[in-house]
Amino acid sequence: MNRNYLMFDIRRTLRNRRVMIFAILMPLVLFAIFGLTIPKDAAAGGISAIAYVMVSMAMFGSMSAAMSSGGVIAAERDGGWNRTLRLTPLKPQAYVINKVILSLLVAVPPLIVVFLFGMTVGHVHLSASQWITVALVSWLGALPFAAIGLVIGYVAKPDSMQPITGLATMLIAAFGGLWLPVDQMPSVMKHIAQLTPAYWTGLTSRSALTAGGVDTQALLVVLGWTVVLGFIALRRYRADTARA
Amino acid sequence: MTTTTAVSLVGVTKKYGAVQAVAGVDLSIRVGEVVALLGPNGAGKSTTIEMLLGLVRPDQGSVQVYGGTPSEAIANGQIGVMLQSGGIIEDAKVGELLNLVAGLHTKPMPVQEALDRAGIADLYDRKMKGLSGGQKQRVRFAMAIIPQPELIVLDEPTTGMDVESRRDFWASMHAETARGRTVLFATHYLEEADAYADRVVLMRNGKIVADGTAAQIKASVSGRTIRATIPGADLTALAALPGVRNVETRGDVVLLQCADSDDTLRYLLGNTTAHDIEVTSADLEDAVLAISDGSAYQGKESVA
Repeated sequence: MNRNYLMFDIRRTLRNRRVMIFAILMPLVLFAIFGLTIPKDAAAGGISAIAYVMVSMAMFGSMSAAMSSGGVIAAERDGGWNRTLRLTPLKPQAYVINKVILSLLVAVPPLIVVFLFGMTVGHVHLSASQWITVALVSWLGALPFAAIGLVIGYVAKPDSMQPITGLATMLIAAFGGLWLPVDQMPSVMKHIAQLTPAYWTGLTSRSALTAGGVDTQALLVVLGWTVVLGFIALRRYRADTARA
Repeated sequence: MTTTTAVSLVGVTKKYGAVQAVAGVDLSIRVGEVVALLGPNGAGKSTTIEMLLGLVRPDQGSVQVYGGTPSEAIANGQIGVMLQSGGIIEDAKVGELLNLVAGLHTKPMPVQEALDRAGIADLYDRKMKGLSGGQKQRVRFAMAIIPQPELIVLDEPTTGMDVESRRDFWASMHAETARGRTVLFATHYLEEADAYADRVVLMRNGKIVADGTAAQIKASVSGRTIRATIPGADLTALAALPGVRNVETRGDVVLLQCADSDDTLRYLLGNTTAHDIEVTSADLEDAVLAISDGSAYQGKESVA
């Protein structure tokens, strides 16, 4: 990690607010449509339906923010910036670690905003420890998507970057059950959902709200996804920066 | 390898698919030299530079920079590089970019000093996106000198600059070479090589075809060219003159490349109807053209 470089990236991210605003607004709108219309006493799997939707939408927001953050890499590669960096003493792995940290940072605002919205407008009542647990677990759930963002950043061209990220975000969210609960889908959809990392991150986060506590099995699957995707990102990155 | 050698390329080759980009280059640059790498597009200049910087691995041969690998020299901040294009972040401000690059190196000069030396102190708060091509090149130049490198490598630094910015740029560059830095720059502008380099290395088809001072290269194509209008000239007789190496015609105009132009002139004035006679000496461009097309005024006859 290079702190100087991280601060540079954070300043740039704060200047280009569009991505962040989209990542916050999108889940808020979906929350309003799918969450606020639910009867107050509706519940599923031991948690209130509105809390269920809130967590799913927060996950969706942090996931799309984390994924699009990696897209900066595509633009930087295209502009030859990675060549410039290779001609400085910056260690290549420091660059990747910086980008992962950046992805995790941009995943925070959507989580906070959606949770605050759920707390105030949605009247979701959780204990302080539940709020903290669900926030931390949801934040951890952004990790595999940060890795996906890196992979896309190393594979895509800058102009195909946004559509690819957008489509991937939609597909993963829809098929992973972040928009509509998997339990309400046909069973074949449930099997498909289990093939996406979003299903497991959603399961992990929602489990924080149940009496049983965090579903460690689902959490392990999330970490497994992170390891696999992180490995792919690392390979792409090595191929891209192979030095003579 | 002694410490007086900055760069050493030995038997370096690089092939891209069927294209032999670099076909065996030996090049040694001493500390403090200012070397121009001259050649047309596709001559292998950029690939040679990329291998020197460790961006590209040579198929064969060895590359050493200050006695180590290029990567080591870069990790030590010994090389400052100015790439031809790109290599910047368009949505960053000039000051942010320079502070970042300074922060990546171990012994950078103050950012303000780099701005001053590159003549862009007024651009500190400007976004890269809005700068002209010449201004961007100056930012790249500031990025190259900020690590206080021992060797500065510039790949066609003045491409896209107008005449005035080009002159200003070389004035800034001159201040750096006066500090004793070793400089290697690629260019296809002959006058830049002529004016700013101690040594000109001419590349063609992946090989070095000439290497010396601009004066030496000019001298390798010695002699003068006589241009005269001679209606119905006897080209065979002209080519047979002892001082003449080569004869060309453009209509009635005859071009005589001469080792000894005085004798040829006497002959022309005394024995032919030659008029409108001009005598010129070879400049670097003639030399480069002659060397590059392989003829080098060999004295072979080429009657058009």
